[in-house]
Amino acid sequence: MKTLTIILTDGPYISEDAQIAYKVARAALKKYQVNIFLYLDAVYIPRMGQNPAFFADEGGLFADLASEGAVIRACSRCAAARGYTAEEDGSTPDYHDGMKITSLYDLPEMIARSDRVISL
Amino acid sequence: MTVGSIFYLLDSAPYGSEKAFGLLNAAAVSIGRMDVTVGLYGDGVYLALKGQDSQLLAVPNLADILYAYGEMRVIAHEPSLLERGLFFEGLVEMAELADEEAFLEAMVYADCLILL
Repeated sequence: MKTLTIILTDGPYISEDAQIAYKVARAALKKYQVNIFLYLDAVYIPRMGQNPAFFADEGGLFADLASEGAVIRACSRCAAARGYTAEEDGSTPDYHDGMKITSLYDLPEMIARSDRVISL
Repeated sequence: MTVGSIFYLLDSAPYGSEKAFGLLNAAAVSIGRMDVTVGLYGDGVYLALKGQDSQLLAVPNLADILYAYGEMRVIAHEPSLLERGLFFEGLVEMAELADEEAFLEAMVYADCLILL
């Protein structure tokens, strides 16, 4: 099965990037493996309890992707800088299930094993 | 397919945001896994300026990070330099000059292009 990796750097709502990534990933999951790496402000996306007045809860949307098989990882340096701490297995109570905080070294691993990479 | 080469494109200035620092970190961890090129375009060319002093900003000197990773190829877009009144002689030693054609060629030949 071919693999698509999506790299995000913007947080939720500041731009449409997370929404676009969600739509692309949702469609791709029907035929392909999908990896998503959350870098810089994108580590805010998986946070639980988001309640935007006029937008979809992007944390919930990404949780849906994870439950459908997408591998979603967040950069540990970026997450630590923004107050998120991870357990040894990469999970954090701040995030929806299925999304983990892991090493930045996961990024080149994901890229190296991908057939296509999109950075938004 | 496996990705054997990667081109990280930076078009924003160092220090004004986390983008340049983030790009350099991502490029650094890619070394050894694939061939890494950092392309400096637009305001990104300021990253390679000699003589940076970021102490008052309390952030790392980003040009020093370029020195730390000699395996990383760094190319600066010549037209962007000239548009900003900068010259190749003002850049750190490991930076290469690339005209429009050479810069595009480096991007096209990489297996993967990442814009941060």
